[in-house]
Amino acid sequence: MLNLIHNETLKILRRRRFAVVIGILFAILAVVTYSQYRQLAFRAQRNWRADVQERIARGENMLRRGRINQNWSQSVRAEINRLQFYLDHDIEPNRPTTPLFVRNFANVAGFLLLPLLIAILGSDIVSAEHAEGTDKLLLTRPVRRWKVLSSKLATLWIFATLTLLCGALMAYGISALALPRRGWTAPTFTGFDFSRGAFHIEAVRQLPLWKDTLIAYGLEWYALIAVASIALMLSVLFRSSAAAIGTMLAALIGGTILTRISPDWTAGKYLFVSALPLADYYSGSPPPYPDMTMAFDLTLLAVWAAAALVVAYALFLRRDVFG
Amino acid sequence: MSSPTALVADNLTKIIGRRTIVDAVSFSLDPGEVFGFLGPNGAGKTTTIRMLVGLIRPTAGSVTICGVDLRRDFEKAMRNVGCIVENPDLYRFLTGRENLEHFARMLGVKTSEIDRVAALVSLAHRLDQRVGTYSLGMRQRLGIAQALLGDPRVLILDEPANGLDPAGIREIRELLRRLARERGMSVFVSSHLLAEIELMCDRVAIIHHGTILREGPVRDLISSRREMEFRVGDVARAAEIARERGLTVRADTDRLWISIDENDAPPLVAAFAAAGVPLFHASRRVDTLEEMFLQATGGETVD
Repeated sequence: MLNLIHNETLKILRRRRFAVVIGILFAILAVVTYSQYRQLAFRAQRNWRADVQERIARGENMLRRGRINQNWSQSVRAEINRLQFYLDHDIEPNRPTTPLFVRNFANVAGFLLLPLLIAILGSDIVSAEHAEGTDKLLLTRPVRRWKVLSSKLATLWIFATLTLLCGALMAYGISALALPRRGWTAPTFTGFDFSRGAFHIEAVRQLPLWKDTLIAYGLEWYALIAVASIALMLSVLFRSSAAAIGTMLAALIGGTILTRISPDWTAGKYLFVSALPLADYYSGSPPPYPDMTMAFDLTLLAVWAAAALVVAYALFLRRDVFG
Repeated sequence: MSSPTALVADNLTKIIGRRTIVDAVSFSLDPGEVFGFLGPNGAGKTTTIRMLVGLIRPTAGSVTICGVDLRRDFEKAMRNVGCIVENPDLYRFLTGRENLEHFARMLGVKTSEIDRVAALVSLAHRLDQRVGTYSLGMRQRLGIAQALLGDPRVLILDEPANGLDPAGIREIRELLRRLARERGMSVFVSSHLLAEIELMCDRVAIIHHGTILREGPVRDLISSRREMEFRVGDVARAAEIARERGLTVRADTDRLWISIDENDAPPLVAAFAAAGVPLFHASRRVDTLEEMFLQATGGETVD
């Protein structure tokens, strides 16, 4: 099995897929770092307390007018409570620093960018073998098909992990050039609980930023492993890698839009896309559907990944390989 | 005790939807034998080969390789097989050596094997270049080198002459014959070219519309159709001379076809000269595959 994983790793690297992924990450991180750097200069001239108070006032105005739907008003109320909490504890929320930048990368990249990069990596891991005709050799060697597919899955998981790690390291490396580097021990607040539309202050816990970051990346990693499994299925399902990438892109964007525009259609919570921003939910963003708990999200992703793998294996093990 | 049959295809059938692509094909290969699988494009050659190597699941029938049923123990059966199916498609973005290393790792074969098989197909000098830069002929050689990794008992090659120049075809032909003779390897070669099969194979099966029309030693199938073509100045006179010698003659305006073996031609040519018939050209007629089919099906169309 190690020999097979060695082969798959060689192929991903030599197809330059991973280089593309690293390139995209680098470009995006550089731009975002620059914008944060400008923001830092901008903030220095402003009074953050006044800013936060203004945002709270704006939210309260919105609630008073009452022309917004139930879910939306709940999340506005939650946001007001969260800001008030920072104000009461005299902590400036979201002051750009390198550690915070690394931490936020998990949130921001988690629900679209990283899954998309995993799709780029994974989409041709099976389909390209067919498109290039090399599956005829790969599947006529004395190695059973389930071993071949398992080596591809393991390789994809390894590269999903590497993508996340490289993203974190690059986020640190690039932002360290422009932003304050200290702040790993800064307090963060977690455990914001918005269930039943109320803000439960007793659930809020204080964590040093480094611990909070590790948890966020752990959750993100879990989500990416699920995405990689779904990408493998798409690669088995489609004979062209463009179709596989396209489908993943449509699912990610379509799912995100769907949860925004029709939050009352509660079946949307069963889409895997709804559960992808695990790290975001963990750090206090209200999920699109009020009854989505962390346990629900984790289970949902596991079920999707398992179902995708069942389809991928069933198809790959049984199908006839024509030209 | 004699060694077991290298490969047995028993009653292989593939039906897709309502179409029968391969219909009850059976044959077997002995050790050390070069077996030709002849048929036009679309006759079911490639589908049969794909069933032999486990890419396609037969609707009925079985494949046994060195005594092991392919469906029952794929790994053990395929350990005895090296193959190229259709085109020699290898990873174009890897070098020749990396390709061989890739497949050597799947077999668990030592990397020292790579230089041995590369030398066998005369590819050693280009081994460290990317396969994307190879000509079709070189990819064909690399494909054969890959098939030879692990010293298989059975070699299955689909159209191995494709893309090779005449010198290359000859070189590969001699290599395959030598492997069969010296190492007792069984070689299965498919082709749509009669001449190629004739030169390379001991035994041949002719497949058309998914069924085997004929099977037997190459000589038996081909020698029955020895014929020579003569272009002469006086067709009527020449035909008369040939008929006098008891030969079968077909005539056209400026040429005739006479059923005669090349070795027996000189006396006939001398007779033409003695009778003052000018002879411009004489050659052995190479049967086209189409004619082979016409003969095999008794002159009726196969449709």
